[in-house]
Amino acid sequence: MSDDQDLVRQTVREVLTAHPPVSLTAELTWDEGLWAELAAAGLTGVGLPEEAGGSGGEVADAVAVVGELARGAGAVPVGEQLLVAGPAVLAAGLQLPPPDEPLVAAVDGDLTAVPDGDGWLLSGTAVDVPWAGVALHLAVLAQGPDGPVLALVRAPAPAWTHANLAGEPRGSVAFDGLRAPAAPITVAAVADLRARAALLRAVQLAAALEQVLALTLRYAGEREQFGRPLGKFQAIQMYLAEMAGEVTAVTAVVDAAVQALEAGEPLVPAAATAKVRAGAAVEVVAALAHQVHGAIGFTQEHALHHLTRRCWAWRDEAGSELAWSATLGEHLVAGGADGFWPALTRVV
Amino acid sequence: MTHALTLAPAPRSDAAELVRAEVREFLAAEIAEGTFTPHVDTWLSGVDPAFSRKLGDRGWLGMTWPKEYGGHERTAMERYAVTEELLAAGAPVAAHWIADRQSGPALLRYGTEEHRQEILPRIAAGECFFVIGMSEPDSGSDLASIRTRATRDANGDFVVDGAKVWTSNAHHSHYAITLVRTGPPGDGPRGKHQGLTQLLVDLSLPGITINPIRILDGGHHFNEVVFDGVVVPAGMLLGEEGAGWHQVTAELAFERSGPERFLSTFPLLTELARRAAAGQDRAQLAAVGRLSARLLAIRQLSLRIAAALDRGELPDIPAALVKDIGTTFERDVIDEVRRVAEVTPSLSSPDPLGRALAEAQLHAPGYTLRGGTNEILRGIVARGLGLR
Ligand SMILES: Cc1cc2nc3c(=O)[nH]c(=O)nc-3n(C[C@H](O)[C@H](O)[C@H](O)COP(=O)(O)OP(=O)(O)OC[C@H]3O[C@@H](n4cnc5c(N)ncnc54)[C@H](O)[C@@H]3O)c2cc1C
Repeated sequence: MSDDQDLVRQTVREVLTAHPPVSLTAELTWDEGLWAELAAAGLTGVGLPEEAGGSGGEVADAVAVVGELARGAGAVPVGEQLLVAGPAVLAAGLQLPPPDEPLVAAVDGDLTAVPDGDGWLLSGTAVDVPWAGVALHLAVLAQGPDGPVLALVRAPAPAWTHANLAGEPRGSVAFDGLRAPAAPITVAAVADLRARAALLRAVQLAAALEQVLALTLRYAGEREQFGRPLGKFQAIQMYLAEMAGEVTAVTAVVDAAVQALEAGEPLVPAAATAKVRAGAAVEVVAALAHQVHGAIGFTQEHALHHLTRRCWAWRDEAGSELAWSATLGEHLVAGGADGFWPALTRVV
Repeated sequence: MTHALTLAPAPRSDAAELVRAEVREFLAAEIAEGTFTPHVDTWLSGVDPAFSRKLGDRGWLGMTWPKEYGGHERTAMERYAVTEELLAAGAPVAAHWIADRQSGPALLRYGTEEHRQEILPRIAAGECFFVIGMSEPDSGSDLASIRTRATRDANGDFVVDGAKVWTSNAHHSHYAITLVRTGPPGDGPRGKHQGLTQLLVDLSLPGITINPIRILDGGHHFNEVVFDGVVVPAGMLLGEEGAGWHQVTAELAFERSGPERFLSTFPLLTELARRAAAGQDRAQLAAVGRLSARLLAIRQLSLRIAAALDRGELPDIPAALVKDIGTTFERDVIDEVRRVAEVTPSLSSPDPLGRALAEAQLHAPGYTLRGGTNEILRGIVARGLGLR
C-alpha cells in the first residue's frame, strides 16, 4: 500500500467521522449527506481519469475509497460508480456523467437496444439494479442486433424496489423504447463488467469483515462477565483466532484479485475466487462476531449490525456465491483434469 | 456412553398422535382462512393474542396442569406434539409461549395456592402472558451478578429498583417473573448464588417503564424494563426468599430442550422443500435429506428429555446438549439453503423462500444466545462428562 492510498483512506475516514452509519428504511434509502460531502471532496471520481471529468488516480486509490466506505458502512453507491459503472462507460467510449451524480450499472434482466438514427432505443426490464431509486444514471447492458450493447440513461423511477438485508435499495427498472446513447461492446467486456461487480462486493466484504473482527476484538476486551473480560475465556479466544484466520485469508486473496485487475489480467477467475472466498468467510465471521457480542449485538443499539447485515447481503449480490463457485469450477476444469492445476495457478 | 447423557427412549404415544392430527386440521383451516401467514422464529416475534386465545379454547395451553387450575391433565408427550406442530407451521405463538412453557410450571411448583388459582386458569385460557425478567445490561451469562434489588418496606412489601434488558415481549405481557437480589452474597465462588429471590411482578405497577429495543430486522420484541421504587406486595414472593438461584436453574431445564430449540427456522426448510419438490434438483433434495436427518436425531433426543421430565427426572445436562446442537442446526439451515438454491434474501421478497431466508438470517444471532449461550451450555455438558 502506498502513501497515496494512505492519504485517500485518511481523507475518507475524516469524512466518515461526521457520518456514522445510518439504519436504512423504506423512507431513508441512502446517506445523501455523506455522498454530497464525498463528492465535494472529489472522492466520487477517484480512479476515473481527469480528462473524463474524474479526479484521477489509480485503481488502487478507488479500491482504498471503497474499502474505507465499507468499513464505515457508508450507505452510498460509490463503489458501484468507481469500480463498475464508471470504467464500463469509459471503456465503451460513452460520456461519463458528472461524478457527483450517482451512476450504477444494470447488468441483469431482459433488455434490447436497437439503433435509431444517431441514438439507440432501449426496451425491457433491468432487475436487481443496485441503488435503484437513488442512482441518477444507469449504464444498462442490453442485447443489440449484433451483440451486447451498453446504454447510458438518466434513471427513470424504478418499477419495483426491495431492500436487501441491510436495507440498501435494489430494484427493477423498465424501459419502453427509451432513446439513449449506447455503444456495442464485446462479449469479453460483458464478462469483465460482471466480474468487476463481483470484485466490488469482494473488496467491500474484505473491509467489512476486517472491521467486524476489530469490533469483536474490542468488545471482548471491554465486556466483563464472571469478573473477567470475555477475551480471557479460552472459548472466546478460539473464536477470535478463527475469525482472524478467515479475515486474513480473505484479505490476501482479495488483494491478489485487485492486483489482477490493476495488471489487466483475466478478471473472471480472479474476481470469482475473491467473491466466493469472501462470501464463505461471512458464514463464520458474522456468526462468531454475534456470538461474542451476545444480546447487545442482536440489536440496533450496537454498530455491529450495520456491518453483518451488509456482509450477509453482499455475499449473494452481483452473482450469488453459488453461481460464482460454479463459474470458477467451470473455468478451472475447461482444460480437463490435466489442465486443472495449471489453470489454478494462473487465477491469482 | 457417559451416564449423565444417557436417556431412555421416549415411549410412543397414541394420544399424542391423536392430538397432533387435531392440531394439523386446525392449522390448515386457520391458514386457509388467512388468520396467519407462516413465519420464521414465531415464538419470539409472532405475537397474536387472539390466536393464543383460540389455542386456549381448544385446551392446548396448560395441557399438563391439574384441572383444578384450568389445566387438562394431559401428558408431556401430548403437549410436545401440539407445540411442535405449531412451530413447524410457523404459527404466531409468542404471546403465550413463555407463560405456557415455564412460568405456569414455575407457579405450580413454587407459587402459593392463591397464585395458582388466580393466574394459572388465565394462562391456560390464553389470556395472561409472562416474560422472563432475568438478564441485565451487565449480567447475561453471569446471571448471579444481577444488581436489581428488592428491600422490604414497613409493611413487609418488596420495593424493587433496577433494570432488566432483552425482556422479550414485555410490552404485550402481564407479569414478569423477576430475579432480584434481596440479600448479600455469601462467601466463596458460589456465594453469589445466595441472596437471590424470584418475584411475581405485575407489569402494570406504578414505577415500571418499558422501553423498546429494536433487533436487527427493526422489529420490536426486546425491551428494557426499568423498576423505580416499584412496590411489589409481599404475597407476590415466588417460592422462598433467597432460593431464587435454585428456582431459576430448575426453570431453565424446562426452557432448554423443547422443539423451539430446533424448529425456529423450520419454515425456511419447508420453503427449500417446496423448491426442491418443484424442480427435482438433486443437490436441493440432498440438502433437504441431510438437514432432515440432523433434525430427526435432535428431535429424538428432545423427545427423550420430555419423557424424562414427565417421569419427574431433571435431565439438565442432556437438555443443555440438545439446546447446543439444536440451535446450531437452526442456524446452519440458512447456509445449507444458500449453497443449493439461487435465492435473494429480502423481507419484502415476493418469493417465499427469499422472505423466509431473510427472516431466518436476521434472527440468526439470537438462536445460539437466548436461554443460555452455547458456550455456557457446552460448559455444562463438559461438567456432565466429568471434565470440570
Ligand atoms: C432473542 C433473545 C431473547 C432473549 N429474551 C430474554 C428474556 O426474555 N429475558 C431475559 O432475561 N433475557 C433474555 N435474553 C438474554 C439472554 O439470556 C442473554 O443474551 C444470554 O444469557 C447471554 O448474555 P449476554 O447477551 O449478556 O452475553 P454475555 O454473557 O456477555 O456473553 C457474550 C459472549 O461471551 C461468552 N461467555 C460468557 N461467559 C463465558 C464463559 N465463562 N466461558 C466462555 N464463554 C463465555 C458467551 O457465551 C457469549 O458468547 C434474550 C436473548 C436473546 C438473544
